Amino acid sequence: MTKENVQGAGEEEQQAQSKKGLKKQQKEAEKAAKKAEKQAKLAAEQQDTDEDDFAKDRYGICPMVQSQQKLDRALVRVQDLTPEKAEQQIWVRARIHTSRAKGKQCFLVLRHQQFTVQALLAVGERASKQMVKFAANLTKESIIDVEAVVKKVEQKIESCSQQDVELHVERIFVISQSEARLPLQLEDAVRPEGEGDEEGRATVNQDTRLDNRVIDLRTTTSQAIFRLQSGVCQLFRDTLINKGFVEIQTPKIISAASEGGANVFTVSYFKTSAYLAQSPQLYKQMCICADFDKVFCVGPVFRAEDSNTHRHLTEFVGLDIEMTFNYHYHEVIDSITDTMVQIFKGLRDRFQTEIQTVNKQYPSEPFKFLEPTLRLEYMEGVAMLRAAGVEMGDEEDLSTPNEKLLGRLVKDKYDTDFYVLDKYPLAVRPFYTMPDPSDPKYSNSYDMFMRGEEILSGAQRVHDAQLLTERAMHHSIDLEKIKAYIDSFRYGAPPHAGGGIGLERVTMLYLGLHNVRQTSMFPRDPKRLTP
Amino acid sequence: MPMYQNGEVDPAVKALEDRQDEVLRRLYELKATVDGLTKTVTTPDADLDATTLSHAPVESVFRGTADLDSLLGKDLGALRDIVINAHPARPPLSLLVLHGLLCQRYQVLSSVHLHSSVPGVPPPLMSCLGPRHTDSYARQRFQLGFTLIWKDVSKLQMKFSTQNMCPIEGEANVARFLSRLLGADPQDPVSATQMDRWIDTAVFQLAEGGNKERAAVLRSLNTALGRSPWLLGEGFSLADVVCACCVLQAGESGSAPANVQRWLKSCQNLGHFRCVYPLLQ
Repeated sequence: MTKENVQGAGEEEQQAQSKKGLKKQQKEAEKAAKKAEKQAKLAAEQQDTDEDDFAKDRYGICPMVQSQQKLDRALVRVQDLTPEKAEQQIWVRARIHTSRAKGKQCFLVLRHQQFTVQALLAVGERASKQMVKFAANLTKESIIDVEAVVKKVEQKIESCSQQDVELHVERIFVISQSEARLPLQLEDAVRPEGEGDEEGRATVNQDTRLDNRVIDLRTTTSQAIFRLQSGVCQLFRDTLINKGFVEIQTPKIISAASEGGANVFTVSYFKTSAYLAQSPQLYKQMCICADFDKVFCVGPVFRAEDSNTHRHLTEFVGLDIEMTFNYHYHEVIDSITDTMVQIFKGLRDRFQTEIQTVNKQYPSEPFKFLEPTLRLEYMEGVAMLRAAGVEMGDEEDLSTPNEKLLGRLVKDKYDTDFYVLDKYPLAVRPFYTMPDPSDPKYSNSYDMFMRGEEILSGAQRVHDAQLLTERAMHHSIDLEKIKAYIDSFRYGAPPHAGGGIGLERVTMLYLGLHNVRQTSMFPRDPKRLTP
Repeated sequence: MPMYQNGEVDPAVKALEDRQDEVLRRLYELKATVDGLTKTVTTPDADLDATTLSHAPVESVFRGTADLDSLLGKDLGALRDIVINAHPARPPLSLLVLHGLLCQRYQVLSSVHLHSSVPGVPPPLMSCLGPRHTDSYARQRFQLGFTLIWKDVSKLQMKFSTQNMCPIEGEANVARFLSRLLGADPQDPVSATQMDRWIDTAVFQLAEGGNKERAAVLRSLNTALGRSPWLLGEGFSLADVVCACCVLQAGESGSAPANVQRWLKSCQNLGHFRCVYPLLQ
């Protein structure tokens, strides 16, 4: 290399360096300019805030409520904000459902459980710019205390549950602030499926809901569903207590599988293992043999069935009934169906608000039923299916599609969503089912259906130890495993029958929903163990 | 020549008299035929007063039998259940009477249900089909099911085989269907037309008409019942069932004309209307 070249290269380098340097300088200058701009803006804002905030006592973030003081202040529920309270100044505690600033005004929608109300904060004599800005910046789901005047509105506010009033805010304080980023948006969570697709707006899929169940349960729809479910349970209890039933609790950790080995969960039990009860069947019957006459129990049921369907859970709440009868097991069917009818009537008459709330997101036909309940015989069901073109044998069990079809045929003819199918073929029922006295192909057993889906399977039980042993042998069941069960019938046992329903499934079908996970608070299925 | 000889009528005169009688008789027959023809020719069909035409006497229409299989479809080994949806404010009294008649003829499983669209009904409506049959736990022992559902419907409706039959609407039409199950369809067209005419009069003018129409119907009932004990002649028929029920339901039995009152009493005496009286307000 010549000296000149080296020099040349060096010059080039220097030129390159100075170009880089220039760029660098330019960037730094820009940065500095931006910084100066920001500082100037902040200074201006600071000036704004320092500018007389005459409302500074009327808003803010409260210190964490650690029971510092016992205020005797009455808080009005959103549900009770009606035109009757017009012009009253009241305090409300609710969550921020939405907040929207529009110039000098801020529109808030406050929510408490199933109910929402509109609230308005405008810059004026009572509210400063800073106060309105504060309200507009509050994060969704934060819990706030608001003092406001209730005002009647001329035009109904269609988007809220309280359509005839709105709140004019005087004071606003934050009790518990929510983080800004929510795992799901509640507005999306209550949007009806169809609307979401049509308008291109988001809905929330089931897995996201279940993963963030606490937030999902806050939606108006979830609040309504579980309130109604609580009603089902209460009506079940009240009706049976009035009929003279006794509530019992049965053990869930048991030594032998009750229904038939395959679908039980095993738990380690000290040095051995035990099972989680698939149903309270054995213990209900033992109570009958212990002279309790009429019993019911409400408790968890565990089924280790690897079914991933819309209607199966591995753990659900079972509502079970067992009762003695005098001469005919129809006495028990009448009692069970009357209980169901009382539940339906109670829901129809006292939970209309909840039913309407759910229907807003999940529209469905109202649930129809007859009193007394319609009871058809299995052969009639088969005849109806055959008339509709289905081919099936006399002793064949009903497949799920056939059950649904039969439900539709019954609905067509009798206009009822609830009915009993009696006298099932013996071959498809468990070993403890009492056979029919006049036709050995059939049994004294029954299923009950809601909207074409099975909700209860029941029967007259075999209460004779010898017949029970024969039937067990016929089904190739190991007699050793059920010795204690058979023994309970050796010392005088009354004739009895019963059945059980699943709380989640009944609620789902009553409301016309399509997935049992919507009616189970923290559902358990083969793929989900949390929350 | 003298008419009488030796106190006896001359045989020639006798022969003449006989001939005269014969001629007169044939003249009368001819006159009757011409009269009949005149009526047919001079009066247009619509105005033909069917009640004055002579026709075959009607035996009590409810003595026949019917082939259930051909009317209701083959027995598939399951109860053939007839479902009737009625509004509790307008109980179908004639159908209750027909139900009673059906129970005398067949093994009928009767049930009454309250549909969830109606919050409640007075107890007599729930027991209007009589006490529950002792065998009601075994549905397949019965030939026929009769299921009455009190429901919020605008028009009375009957459903049977929803796959093959559309619903039948209106009390009159359901009554006609049920009477066919009793083999009570009149065989000759004159009686059939008369029956339909009385049924339609009862349902459209008596039950649904104003005061004037009702009064007119009662008058024509009175006239008809002046000629025979029952509306179609000598026998009790569906026409009597439907008309009597409409008269009773309209509350006119007290103020009805004499023949109508006598006829209502006869209906009552037959015993078929026992189920109706508890339901009259």
